[in-house]
Amino acid sequence: MDSTNHETLKPTSEELYPIALLMDELRHDDVASRVQAMRRLDTIAIALGQERTRKELIPFLDDVIPEDEDEVIAVAAEELGKFVPYVGGREHAIILMPVLEKIAACEEPIVRDKAVDSLNSISEELDEAQVLQDFIPLIQRLAKERWFSLHIAATGLFKSVIVKVPSETRLELLNLYHELIQDDSPMVRKAAASHLPRLIDILAKHFKSPENINEFHWDLITSMYESLVNDNQDSVKFLSVDVLIAILEFLSEINETSHNEDLFKSLITLASDPSWRVRYMVADRFEKLVTSFNDAQYTIKLVSNLISLMKDNEAEVRKAIAKQLPGVCKLANTCDRSIVLRSIVPVVSQLSMDESETVRSALASEVTGLAPILGKDATIDHLLPIFVEMLKDDYSEVRLNIISNLQLVNEVIGIQLLSESLLPAITALANDKLWRVRLAIIEQIPLLAEQLGVAFFDEALGQLCMEWLWDPVYSIREAAVINLRSLTKNFGEEWCKEELIKRIETKKQTKDFENFICRITCLFAYTKLIPVVSSDTVVSELYPLIDELKDDHVPNIRFNVAKSLLVLAQKVISINREFVVSKIKPTLELLCSDEDTDVKYFAESSLQSVNVLLGK
Amino acid sequence: MDLDSDIQMEDAVEQTQPETTGKETSLSQFPINTTDPTTQRNTLDGWIEQLSQCKPLSEDSVKQLCAMAVEVVKGEENVQPVQVPVTICGDIHGQFHDLMELFKIGGPCPDTNYLFMGDYVDRGYYSVETVSYLVAMKVRYPRRITILRGNHESRQITQVYGFYDECFRKYGSANVWKMFTDLFDYFPITALVDNSIFCLHGGLSPMIESIDQVRELNRIQEVPHEGPMCDLLWSDPDDRGGWGISPRGAGFTFGQDISEQFNHTNGLSLIARAHQLVMEGYSWSHQDLVVTIFSAPNYCYRCGNQAAIMEVDENHNRDFLQYDPSVRPGEPTVTRKTPDYFL
Repeated sequence: MDSTNHETLKPTSEELYPIALLMDELRHDDVASRVQAMRRLDTIAIALGQERTRKELIPFLDDVIPEDEDEVIAVAAEELGKFVPYVGGREHAIILMPVLEKIAACEEPIVRDKAVDSLNSISEELDEAQVLQDFIPLIQRLAKERWFSLHIAATGLFKSVIVKVPSETRLELLNLYHELIQDDSPMVRKAAASHLPRLIDILAKHFKSPENINEFHWDLITSMYESLVNDNQDSVKFLSVDVLIAILEFLSEINETSHNEDLFKSLITLASDPSWRVRYMVADRFEKLVTSFNDAQYTIKLVSNLISLMKDNEAEVRKAIAKQLPGVCKLANTCDRSIVLRSIVPVVSQLSMDESETVRSALASEVTGLAPILGKDATIDHLLPIFVEMLKDDYSEVRLNIISNLQLVNEVIGIQLLSESLLPAITALANDKLWRVRLAIIEQIPLLAEQLGVAFFDEALGQLCMEWLWDPVYSIREAAVINLRSLTKNFGEEWCKEELIKRIETKKQTKDFENFICRITCLFAYTKLIPVVSSDTVVSELYPLIDELKDDHVPNIRFNVAKSLLVLAQKVISINREFVVSKIKPTLELLCSDEDTDVKYFAESSLQSVNVLLGK
Repeated sequence: MDLDSDIQMEDAVEQTQPETTGKETSLSQFPINTTDPTTQRNTLDGWIEQLSQCKPLSEDSVKQLCAMAVEVVKGEENVQPVQVPVTICGDIHGQFHDLMELFKIGGPCPDTNYLFMGDYVDRGYYSVETVSYLVAMKVRYPRRITILRGNHESRQITQVYGFYDECFRKYGSANVWKMFTDLFDYFPITALVDNSIFCLHGGLSPMIESIDQVRELNRIQEVPHEGPMCDLLWSDPDDRGGWGISPRGAGFTFGQDISEQFNHTNGLSLIARAHQLVMEGYSWSHQDLVVTIFSAPNYCYRCGNQAAIMEVDENHNRDFLQYDPSVRPGEPTVTRKTPDYFL
């Protein structure tokens, strides 16, 4: 333990650390020590120099690594990816490949992936001759071995070289990939399928012009896609959705539409697949799929699939499609102005009463996004009833998601209408059991206040805003204080005196004021009001209570008085210097000799700042 | 009392004292930063700011922090007196984000006074951040927050239930674990709120009849395997009367008769303790003589329990605040409801 301590304290001395000791650490009994040593593999390589790294370190690793624990191997695999400079650059890079090939054969996915990543980054450094001579044979070896984990490793290596090689080799590689897509083992097919979209993207990027489009090998790619769509394992089949997206993106890039009909048919099959995982994938990528077809007639046709997914008997599918609604509806709306209202909204209404709370919750977070698409009148007639119902949902997350996204609706129909129809629901939620729902409501209040005007506001919400001050949860009380400050900014000082200060003074007369939380909340409220009212009001209305609390028997209140007095001084100093000198400063000086250390500390620091103010 | 059968109750670990690496590294002998108080406060404020974002301190900072903390807590008593108002909290167990939620519910420290009854580490993913944060607050505001020792603030237990491994994972060595466990030896073991509420992690001990006997214990040591100090950190109240053998393998179970006698002898109104998972976050036993408070919601990220804290105001009115897990994106959350496709 002492030696590790020594190292962590002096990381700069690492270069000088005896190399033999580090090599020893690689053989240490303790796995954690070997992991640590492996992380410093580059240090060892630098110390050894390029030649000895090639002749000693790499053979050594080749020897010890495959025997070691997965954690150690994973680190080694990662480090070796950065090793090209340490072995002497490109010309010697291939020396790293045998050991990484061994690691890539590992059955542990994390280790294997690290080795594949490192092999890919080494391949970036290789020139064409090296790729052909060493890297391609490596892929072929892995793909032809009779063990599934090697095949999986092989699937990850195509993307880094596929466009680097000459035409005939590329064809060979794609044929090889085609074999992997049809491998006996579902795990290999799964790996091949998940790498295929990226491979298609790379091919599409390089071979999209008419003169080299043959190099894209359309027939092979579609045949791979066909094979995936017809796979008997749903865990493989569902990956074909991403492959379809990649193919569609390529086609739209080259403005080719002749294949769309066939692809569309295959999508329809996937969307009604017996396996829910496949349908889930279609639902989850729905907007992307619609965008990729980029064709109004298909968009309209897909609406019926959208609707059947919304009615799917699997909750996960309904949840996924609910998340896609605003995006898809926007696209549908550009093709047919009435289709959203006519066909989709009735099903949304059904979905809002879904039996699964997670579906309703997902819908609640998205459904307000339909308002801008439908426009004012349709929102009022058809969406508002849905919102009102969802605000009454038993499941709090549903209510919360609607409230937090009301802003969008406000922009469409205006606050007046919104508040009229939703006010009853909002007041019902003001006392919601879940404090985050209450918080979300408070955060909407300044907006409501601005639009409703003083009179209507006081009547409907005034009382509510005061009640939040006495909430059992601190965060609500804090939000209530901030809310009252913005209301004061909005409605002005007279309102503040009449509606707020008066009510707090009434509270002071009640038994509640014997509770420290009530007193400190009043103090916080007054402190927050100081900056937004006039100095006269501060001195005449707010100061007396603050001053009274300086003698409170709870120290937490006294040190908050000390903090509050500084805010007060900052406010009045410019027009009432005398007040600061005769009232604030003496109180702070008194608090500086308080028996409680925290009161002393905050009083001293406020006094210091007040003295600076006075010194100006 | 609800006990979740899914989470194994921890057993006392066999007494295998880990080898202490030489007396010369003992914490109290680290050079303490004798820089001026302002610098120290600024350093602490910086640490608290960093920790509040769930970013652990550097090993050097932890070393300094623990050295400062020893100076603060070693002067406290075995039965640390605490003033009202105070908010009393139970187990946290490395659930850092839920600790932040706790402060959102109860109010931030130092504006609110807190009393934590142990078990800050183990089980959760953020024991290091949790205990660093609480200790930093303790050093910064010693009068505003009291942190007691739980049965998990121990070398043996932390080696089994996660804190040791977490330190090793986050710092690459066991140094930080050693610093904290050395510090835990100094934590007070009980607190007395305004001479009326006796607060401790576990429960009563057959060898302790009066609070004065607690005051006489030598607490500065690893939590022993048996005896009064062990019992205070390990015992549980039980529906059966008298003393019983604890299924945990340490401490005892005690019945209502024992609580009545103890509260009467010591002029107490209540014993507040933690240590057991209770589904509502708090639970009364022994006809309101004993209350269990548990402040780790959805314990171990899967128990589905609520958490609670108890606010005691200056007139000894008690208020319980219950809360649910905080909302945290990108972390393993377990939907409490089984998804439909498993049904």
